[in-house]
Amino acid sequence: MSSKQANLLQGTLDLLILRALGLGELHGLGISRRIEQITEGTFVVKPGSLFPALYRMEEAGWLNSFWGESENKRRAKFYRLTKAGRGQLQVETQEWLKVSLAMTNALKAT
Amino acid sequence: MKAWPHALRSVRNLWRKSELERELEEEMRSSLEMLVEEQSAVGVSAEEARRRALLEFGGVEQVKQSVREQRSGMGLELLLEDVRYGFRLLKRNPGFTGTMVLTLALSIGANTAIFSIVNALMLKSLPYSHPERIGTIFTRMTGSVSSDERHKIDGEQWELLRDSVPSLLSGIASGRTSGVNLQTGSRAQYLRTRRISAHYLDVLQIQPMIGRNFLEQEDVPNGPKAAILSYRLWRDTFGSDRNLIGRTVLLKGETYTVVGVLAEQSMPAIDADIYTALQESRKGEGAGTNFEVITRLRDGASWQQANAEINRVWMGRPHQYELQEGPGVQVQYYSVPLQQGETARLRPQAMALMLAAGFILLIACANLAGLTLVRMMRRIPEIATRMALGASRWRVQRQLWIESLLLAMMGAVAGTGVGFVALRGLLMLLPEGFLPVAGVSLDGRVLVFTLVLSFATSILFGMFPALMVRKMDLRGAMINRTATGGGHLRLRQTLIAGEVALTMLLLAASGLLVRTLVHLETLPPGFDPEGVMTARASLDDVRYHDPDAFRALLRESIEAMQRIPGVEDAAVGLSLPYERSLIMGGVGIHAGQNAAQKVMADETYVTPGYFKALRMPVLRGRPFEDSDGAETEPVVIINETFARRYLRGIDPVGQYLSIGTNLKIVGVVKDVQMAPGLDVVAPLATEETIYVPASQMKGQLLSMAHTFFQPSWVVRTGRPIEGLTGQMQRALASVDPNLPFSGFYSMRDLLVKVLATQRVEVALLGSMALLALLLSAVGIFALVANIVAQRTREVGIRIALGSSLQKAMVDVGTPGAGAAMLGLTFGLVLCAGLLRAMRSVLFGIQIYDLPTISIVVSTLAGVIFVAVAMPALRITGIDPAAILREE
Repeated sequence: MSSKQANLLQGTLDLLILRALGLGELHGLGISRRIEQITEGTFVVKPGSLFPALYRMEEAGWLNSFWGESENKRRAKFYRLTKAGRGQLQVETQEWLKVSLAMTNALKAT
Repeated sequence: MKAWPHALRSVRNLWRKSELERELEEEMRSSLEMLVEEQSAVGVSAEEARRRALLEFGGVEQVKQSVREQRSGMGLELLLEDVRYGFRLLKRNPGFTGTMVLTLALSIGANTAIFSIVNALMLKSLPYSHPERIGTIFTRMTGSVSSDERHKIDGEQWELLRDSVPSLLSGIASGRTSGVNLQTGSRAQYLRTRRISAHYLDVLQIQPMIGRNFLEQEDVPNGPKAAILSYRLWRDTFGSDRNLIGRTVLLKGETYTVVGVLAEQSMPAIDADIYTALQESRKGEGAGTNFEVITRLRDGASWQQANAEINRVWMGRPHQYELQEGPGVQVQYYSVPLQQGETARLRPQAMALMLAAGFILLIACANLAGLTLVRMMRRIPEIATRMALGASRWRVQRQLWIESLLLAMMGAVAGTGVGFVALRGLLMLLPEGFLPVAGVSLDGRVLVFTLVLSFATSILFGMFPALMVRKMDLRGAMINRTATGGGHLRLRQTLIAGEVALTMLLLAASGLLVRTLVHLETLPPGFDPEGVMTARASLDDVRYHDPDAFRALLRESIEAMQRIPGVEDAAVGLSLPYERSLIMGGVGIHAGQNAAQKVMADETYVTPGYFKALRMPVLRGRPFEDSDGAETEPVVIINETFARRYLRGIDPVGQYLSIGTNLKIVGVVKDVQMAPGLDVVAPLATEETIYVPASQMKGQLLSMAHTFFQPSWVVRTGRPIEGLTGQMQRALASVDPNLPFSGFYSMRDLLVKVLATQRVEVALLGSMALLALLLSAVGIFALVANIVAQRTREVGIRIALGSSLQKAMVDVGTPGAGAAMLGLTFGLVLCAGLLRAMRSVLFGIQIYDLPTISIVVSTLAGVIFVAVAMPALRITGIDPAAILREE
């Protein structure tokens, strides 16, 4: 759909998923769309990357899942953050801000 | 992530695998459908929408697979897959798997059986409370005599120990289990009995099931007569009567009050049917070392304290008999745990057997390693392909280890089965009472041992293939389709040489034991053992304390037996050839260079017909006669060894010995083989023996002799007589209906009994040596067969080019035969070094026994030859033409 697809930085995907779910529970495809929306289309997460990440994060205890109904009355699996997930979101956000600040400074420097 | 929740989740995921799969499938479908709906909303055709959705989704199966890889427990699943694969491979090679499992089962089974015995003897605690506080006392002698063992003690030592060693609660039992007669109603019954001191059961902290232990006032000379019954006797003879306590039973012709009944199996160490109070005095039995001591450390005391007290009181004795063993002897006493004390006798044998079993395992490992190596070489193409397709070395190695472990587990299960059967057989082989423990079982410790052993084995034989993978040259392997053979051949040859060397050692050791047994069994007995039946009865009975009654019994019972049709001779003796006899100290010599000396000798009383019945030649003088009676001059007959040792150079007949009174020597008889009691250096020996007429036995000595020994009635028949033992019993009953025989034995039975230990040693070590021989033969056979298989093509071409069949056979056989011969040579070196340890169990032969070594070497060489020749002969089946066509 979108051709302005940027490479996902290592570790960014987890943070993006956590951030997307930080705003409310979503099903798989919803997460993908939400990420696209909050990054203004910079990142498009394909199912091939999304679902393994979701399963991994669920195993890690950051997310849990339940079956619900989509906006089109379709049965879908929803994900939401756990308490551990919220903590992780905070930690990774701090971490990311630090890295991005450092990167920005580094690139500004002559 | 914590390890524990992760592991839990892994297991749960494995269980819920199908459910997880269904969920995954549904999630993928619903996501895909949502994508389709999105596309449809844009307004394209349904078909186009689905095409676009699939494009974006990027392959449902791939997504599913990448999700699966995230799942916990994936590692475990892979492992299970490897295990399943391993099983399939093993099933596909039944020959290989069968040989491996059988080899493992035999070697691990042998180890399991032997270890169960070691476990029962040395590792399991005694079945008493706080066994670590129960001990016994060892005597260490240094100086001109050196020994370190559990000694029996005398009455003086016992009284000092009981009264002046406050750190210990001590008990003693009479040295041997003996027999007594119990009369209930009109029935007389023979029982095994032990006499124990008052606190003996308290030391073991055994309380009778009903009633009580002996009191101190029951354990004094001429004290009240009390008895404690075993559970078995109480149940079988007294119908489990709970009111028996306090009632009397007729034992040894006297009334004994029953004070207690033991629970079932409560005292395995000194198993008997009935126990009476020892009533020790320093006279008679207490004058000699006849008591076995056990001790319990009292609360708050230490063993050091106890040892100091024992040494203090026992060193202070005015006549310390140990010091007479030799000039300048130093004596020291110390406590050892009871278990160690009871099993010290069997410890070296058990350890030697364990060592032999260990050798078996090593030999088996060598074979197993050889087999796995061969199989590995066959699998090189498969493994190379797997690695070329991206399998890591680790993954391939893991697969190999898993296969080794699977084999080891199968071996462990089969080995436990074999061990169980072998142990049953082994225990049946052992004479009753041979092991001083209640039972030998495959308990938890044995099973753990077996399991650990199996794992260790799998590591030993699984190591080589795994190492091979690490060093495998992938490119070379792909090209040649086999691994480079040279190095592995050398490795296998080394393994063969090693196992042949160990086999040689085991064969030589068991050969020496066989020779010892043959030597002992074929010693000239000194009498004619054929056609003799003996029967034993207990005369430890108040009715026969009177010498007149005793004489009448012997006379009338012998007459009755002589009336049995076919009986040529009948006689009675206190002890028989092949048995131990009473030891008499203080026998005074009155002539020759040993005059005025007091010596020790075996003593036995016999009736006049004894020497004739056993066909013991009287070399000088005369045998006893009916005229030698209580009222005539006391007489004695000595054996050759006694005459040679103490009356050298003079005619013994007409000389005198003194034991209290003077005894006139009237004859000299030939030596017979007997179980030695004076100097136990061999299981059979000819010792200084004196024979006295039964009719001249004095009352006190008679009753003491009968507490230790049960005399034997000896009957010689010209031909086998049907129902002889029944007739003997009836003959005895016609004289005294209340006197049962305790058992009937041929002289062969007695010989078997005295050589039981040697027989067991031969059977055990012999079967292990045969097992080793079998394993080695299989190993050599496998090596040569493998070489033949590998070189079929080459040999075929060479034969086609004119080489002779013989030369080809020699060629393929040489590596195996050479390695085996090297092993044989090395085995000889091992024998030279290690067989010395067997010195104490060999009798009548040297350690470097040429006949044994030559038989062993030729047997082994013969087996090697067959093991090499059989597979090498397969070459004759090679068809050179066929081989050439294949080329």
